[in-house]
Amino acid sequence: MALFRTAEIIKASKLPPEGVKLSRMIDAVYFIPIAYLGVFATFHMHFDLLAGDWDFWVDWKDRQFWVTVTPIVEVMYPGAIMYYFWTFYRQPFGATLSITGLLVGKWITIVFAWYWWANFPMNFVMPATMVGSALILDCTLLLTRSWMLTAIFGVWAFAMMFNPTQYAIFGYSHQPLVVDGQLMSLADYMGFTYVRTGTPEYIRIIEVGSLRTFGGHTVWISAFFSAFVSMLVFTIWWQIGHFVGQSFFWVRGKRGVMSRKNDVMVIGSDEYAKRHGTPDGVAPRLPGAPMGAGATLAEGKS
Amino acid sequence: MNAKNIIKLCVIGSLGMATLGLPLVFFASPAAAHGERSQEPFLRMRTAQWYDTRWNPQKTAVNDEAMLSGKIHISEDWPRAVVAPKRTFINVGSPSSVFTRLSSKVNGVPMVTSGPLELGGDYEYVIKLRGRLPGHHHIHPMLAVNGAGPIAGPGGWMDISGNYKDFTNPVKLLVGGTIDTETAGLAVGLFWHALWGGLGFAWIGWFMVRPMFLIRARVLAQEGGDALLNDPVDRVVAFGMLAVCFVLIAIGFFVTDSQYPYTIPLQAGEPKIKATHLKSDLTIKVLAADYDVPGRALRMTLSVTNSGEQPLRIGEFTTAGIRFLNKVGVANNLDPTYPPEIMALDGLHIEDESPINPGESREVKLDSRDSLWEVQRLMDLVHDPDQRFGGLVMAWDEAGNRHINSIAGNIIPVFTRAAGG
Repeated sequence: MALFRTAEIIKASKLPPEGVKLSRMIDAVYFIPIAYLGVFATFHMHFDLLAGDWDFWVDWKDRQFWVTVTPIVEVMYPGAIMYYFWTFYRQPFGATLSITGLLVGKWITIVFAWYWWANFPMNFVMPATMVGSALILDCTLLLTRSWMLTAIFGVWAFAMMFNPTQYAIFGYSHQPLVVDGQLMSLADYMGFTYVRTGTPEYIRIIEVGSLRTFGGHTVWISAFFSAFVSMLVFTIWWQIGHFVGQSFFWVRGKRGVMSRKNDVMVIGSDEYAKRHGTPDGVAPRLPGAPMGAGATLAEGKS
Repeated sequence: MNAKNIIKLCVIGSLGMATLGLPLVFFASPAAAHGERSQEPFLRMRTAQWYDTRWNPQKTAVNDEAMLSGKIHISEDWPRAVVAPKRTFINVGSPSSVFTRLSSKVNGVPMVTSGPLELGGDYEYVIKLRGRLPGHHHIHPMLAVNGAGPIAGPGGWMDISGNYKDFTNPVKLLVGGTIDTETAGLAVGLFWHALWGGLGFAWIGWFMVRPMFLIRARVLAQEGGDALLNDPVDRVVAFGMLAVCFVLIAIGFFVTDSQYPYTIPLQAGEPKIKATHLKSDLTIKVLAADYDVPGRALRMTLSVTNSGEQPLRIGEFTTAGIRFLNKVGVANNLDPTYPPEIMALDGLHIEDESPINPGESREVKLDSRDSLWEVQRLMDLVHDPDQRFGGLVMAWDEAGNRHINSIAGNIIPVFTRAAGG
């Protein structure tokens, strides 16, 4: 017994063997060089513009803003990318693709920009990782097959798991020490000891605001707040994905009326001809119309 | 777009890239300063007035300690266009972290975080450094002001010899033990990134081994396609992956929590630094000042009163970290280690060089004249939106005691020799 339903799926696609082979070549060309590199480059830029400093520096990773801002910003791209991959291909890896793409970009920056060029030690500029949260988000979509339930449960877990995931990486940096009679965490000291000419200390936003006012459990209050905002943001970006990810054709029908067809993958196929009564989507030429005027894909849009 | 156009664009693009690469071939001297000359003169002259800056020693080795110290007078005539120094940070202007900063004190108070400074206040800073990256580095003290940006002090050269690989930055923890900031937490961080990254790529790979896009899209467009694509084995794997994620997160959290039982959040307190004030027996008022553009001179007419008991001689005018001295200044305040490129040893001229006697009031014509006005781009003052100047006038008595006055006033540019007389 086969592990996957691949054979059934290929059969259902009604593609000839050479079509199947070609589709795998398209998979290879489209996925790695186009989809993956495109996502990592643009998401990396997007993330650095909105939450870059929190991720760059160990002494920015506070209990309030870092915990709040990072999941909200990191759930944006996954929302749109998940829409695209799920709606058109039922592929449940949009979030993981986005977050691993982001981290590929991050690590290129860390090694070449921060470590090699600017000479900061890697631990000082270590980024957070939300791959675990992304996996939870993707699994939730696969299991619930509902973007609404994914937004409610998956995104909630996505944001809530942020702090415990990062604690394993950055917990060490909260060890206390004393310099010149002043108590500070190791992270504060690293921010102090590694001179950043263009990044004075006051640029940090450390627990400014009132999110802490609940028995001192700043980090969990921030995480809850972040989770709720992330749900909203995910929904908005899912809809952005819907808006920019539309794919349809305008087709001239039997009576010469233009109509929008969303099932673009079957246009030109037997399936389409059967469904719409036109051989291969080609409408009969209208009387008096010039040659070619009755062609099917009168206007393409995607 | 046809092939011809594409070839044309490729040729133009290649030429562009080659042009950009030319400087690397013909002229690739290292960037050795921090753009301090590009800061507007009114900003450099009337905000932080730096003096007594010292880079000590100027030659160090990796892991050796050095000191950057000096004094800042926060100008009473702080420009309206610049946000007041309510939240400031004494920083070091250096090309990356060539030194690590071990300690930073302002008037004896540790300034690890940012705090307010007082207009008219005088502050002595001492920054302890440790050599990290070998090289010949241009180092500035720097006052970063929230809302106004960094204000660079005078830059001096410091050399670090040795090998970066030998550098360590050990620091004692409060709960015992020593940790090196260069490597602390690095292995653990890399481990978790590799683990999560591996899981992420494995998850994507699980779907990559099967047809990914075209075939699935065609199936999905058919009736019943959704159910066919809902492979039971994927659901099992997803449940497993969920469990793995939650378990890994829990393990990471609780193991770290038990490993570091005593932790504190990031600290963001504000140091309260008490200002001192300049002491001088002289009272100086600016009566008039002009900037002689062709002569590269700032010409001041001052009303000076000596209310002390000793005769005083003016010997130095300092502004924007640039020092203009005469014989009196050279005799009393010549620091041989001060960068010569920002010091004019014969740059200060007084019409009447006799001392200002106790109780005497005199109109003094003070002329600070040197090409440094142009080299250091202070002549751009004529293009500033705020045509005032500022600086520190230093005078000495016979015993060598220094008296410092901060002065400021309107300035009128003189564009031609004919107009200037």
